[in-house]
Amino acid sequence: MSDTVIEVEGLVKRYGDFTAVDGINFTVNAGEVFSLLGPNGAGKTTTVEIMECLRTLTGGTVHILGMDVTKDALKIKNRIGVLPQDFNAFDLLTVKENIEYFGGMFDRQLPADDLIKAMDLTDKRDEYFKNLSGGLKQRTGVAISMVNDPEIIFLDEPTTGLDPRARRDVWAVVKSLRERGKTVILTTHYMEEAEVLSDRLGIIDHGKFIALGTPRQIIDTHGTGSRCIISNCDNSCSTALKGQWPTLESKGGDIIIRLENKNALPEIIYALDRSGGNYDQIQVTRPTLEDVFLALTGKKLAAEETESNDGKKKRSKRRGD
Amino acid sequence: MANRILVALKGEAKGFFRAKSTVFWTIAFPLLLILLFGAIFSNTGAGKVDLYVQDLSDSQTSHSFVQHIAAIDSVNLIEINKTIDLDQYIKDHSPTAVLVIPANFAQAFVPGAGLNTTTLLVRLDPTQQSASAVYSIVNGFAEQANLAIAGGTNVITTARGDITNTQFNYIDFFIPGVIALTTMTTTAFWMVSVMTRYRNNGIFKKLTTTPITRAEWLASQILWQLVVVFISVGVIIIVGMLAFNTHMTLNAVAIVTIILSSAAFSSMGMIIARFIHDEESASAAANAITFPMMFLAGIFFPASQFPSWLASVANVLPLTYVGNALRDSMVYNNMSSAVGNMLVVAVFAIILFVAGVLLSKWKTE
Ligand SMILES: Nc1ncnc2c1ncn2[C@@H]1O[C@H](COP(=O)(O)OP(=O)(O)OP(=O)(O)O)[C@@H](O)[C@H]1O
Ligand SMILES: [Mg+2]
Repeated sequence: MSDTVIEVEGLVKRYGDFTAVDGINFTVNAGEVFSLLGPNGAGKTTTVEIMECLRTLTGGTVHILGMDVTKDALKIKNRIGVLPQDFNAFDLLTVKENIEYFGGMFDRQLPADDLIKAMDLTDKRDEYFKNLSGGLKQRTGVAISMVNDPEIIFLDEPTTGLDPRARRDVWAVVKSLRERGKTVILTTHYMEEAEVLSDRLGIIDHGKFIALGTPRQIIDTHGTGSRCIISNCDNSCSTALKGQWPTLESKGGDIIIRLENKNALPEIIYALDRSGGNYDQIQVTRPTLEDVFLALTGKKLAAEETESNDGKKKRSKRRGD
Repeated sequence: MANRILVALKGEAKGFFRAKSTVFWTIAFPLLLILLFGAIFSNTGAGKVDLYVQDLSDSQTSHSFVQHIAAIDSVNLIEINKTIDLDQYIKDHSPTAVLVIPANFAQAFVPGAGLNTTTLLVRLDPTQQSASAVYSIVNGFAEQANLAIAGGTNVITTARGDITNTQFNYIDFFIPGVIALTTMTTTAFWMVSVMTRYRNNGIFKKLTTTPITRAEWLASQILWQLVVVFISVGVIIIVGMLAFNTHMTLNAVAIVTIILSSAAFSSMGMIIARFIHDEESASAAANAITFPMMFLAGIFFPASQFPSWLASVANVLPLTYVGNALRDSMVYNNMSSAVGNMLVVAVFAIILFVAGVLLSKWKTE
């Protein structure tokens, strides 16, 4: 068992009467990528910003690298790196100058050129920050958050508002941080991102964890099992299947059957074969975190399509907080 | 700590010089004011020139000489009694051009008395554009007289002297006021724009993740503003010298006043930005405060010319005291009054700075 670098116990945060974080517990081990996955307003930023010593807590305890956030803020800040949500640097400074600027704020700093190379920003080294694309801005942000050679790096929604390609770029960056042995705390409302990147994750809703563990564990515990989809079934096929699995769903010409045990799939194929009917193909899908979230809360996690359009509006509104 | 302040200051400086239009307007605004108002209100030399004459010779010769000059259309001649102490007269009446006819003037015209040279003294206020015209008029008369009486030998010469004890003209009054105004507008608008922008675009959030403190950051901004203000002040003084021949001295009292004023108005900007979060509304609010202050504080016209109710408004505005302290120290050389005004500015600066630091906070929660 590796070292515990973050310990959060019974964390509560209230804004006036409103409880934004409602008693959450988790630990993170050195070298892990740990994600907080949840919809807008779930309490992700509140939670990470308490860990980053940017907000005060109302109840519970948070220890970072063994230090209490309420007592050792300055020491903690020197040993962590933070990419805040809606990150921005100085528009009229170059990538390199921005890294050096923030580096100058710390007791120790890594050479800007090393970070530029590590983040694959060599071409953009002397470009003004304002001229960078969203993805490059985030990569610059990650480079800046590494400037004090931190042990833990917090990335608050690093891919929100990015196009799919830029999002993959940021994923590659997160993976490279992990390879360097950094502990990464990531927040996101994209389940796919959490699933691909995290060693472990917590699903958060209304300030509470509704699931915690590795992606596999969560899916196995809370998931609804795998499903078999038979596309374009004709009448004799569907009659045969309906006789044996009365609970099946049918969508258009497709039939979806939940696989309750390992015999289910062979039985379906046997039934189809016997019916003598026609169908296009058989497909088996694993449940996703999205399904888990849907099953646990009865609502969708994120409407990915509308996000990029809304992203800007939503963000500027939140700035007034 | 000092290092962090310096890093922040350097970052701000780079960004400032790269925003070309900001640089332009910061420097150009006070210059445009000076050139515009200077051109409108300074004596352009059109119309008649007042020439004061003190005739120490008081002879027939000198009387006819004076009459010749008085006959020139563009000259309005005013005689000063020869018994009057000229320097005192200049102090009291602040003439811009004085001709002194020496006591031995008449002897130069006595034929056969040998060549008794005599010198006409022309004392001029060099800041007046009419000065050289007056000088060449007198000089022309002297040459004519030389031709007539001595065949061109220089019997009568002219010497030029300065009137130093002049009453100050508009531009002398105006330029220190513009410097005062610059310390206000430069720093207040900078602070408002930087603080609202950094809060809204998340730079403050990022800065709070580093060890820099609010006090260090504020110090870096105020220091940087002092650099900008002193660049502007330097340019204003140089342009004043070149365009209007003004002579300002940038002494210790003036420098301290400029620093205090910059601190006071930076803090004012900080307070505005604390209450109004949107960049445009915040700078509109800064405008709403600085624009009336610019007129009410006696920057364009002396507050002494205001009706009394308006003058009492001027008395509570910090900018009034900044302008007074700078005029007293840089132009009128009235140091005790300058220091008094400077102390009032210091009180404003301390109150505003403390209020600004206490009110503005970084942490969202
Ligand atoms: N400073 C604040 N004062 C009052 N309420 C706040 C404040 N900050 C956050 N909240 C509220 O607390 C809740 C949790 O906010 P938080 O920003 O932590 O959510 P989030 O999970 O990060 O959401 P998002 O995906 O939109 O970033 C929201 O309902 C929000 O409106
Ligand atoms: Mg958030």
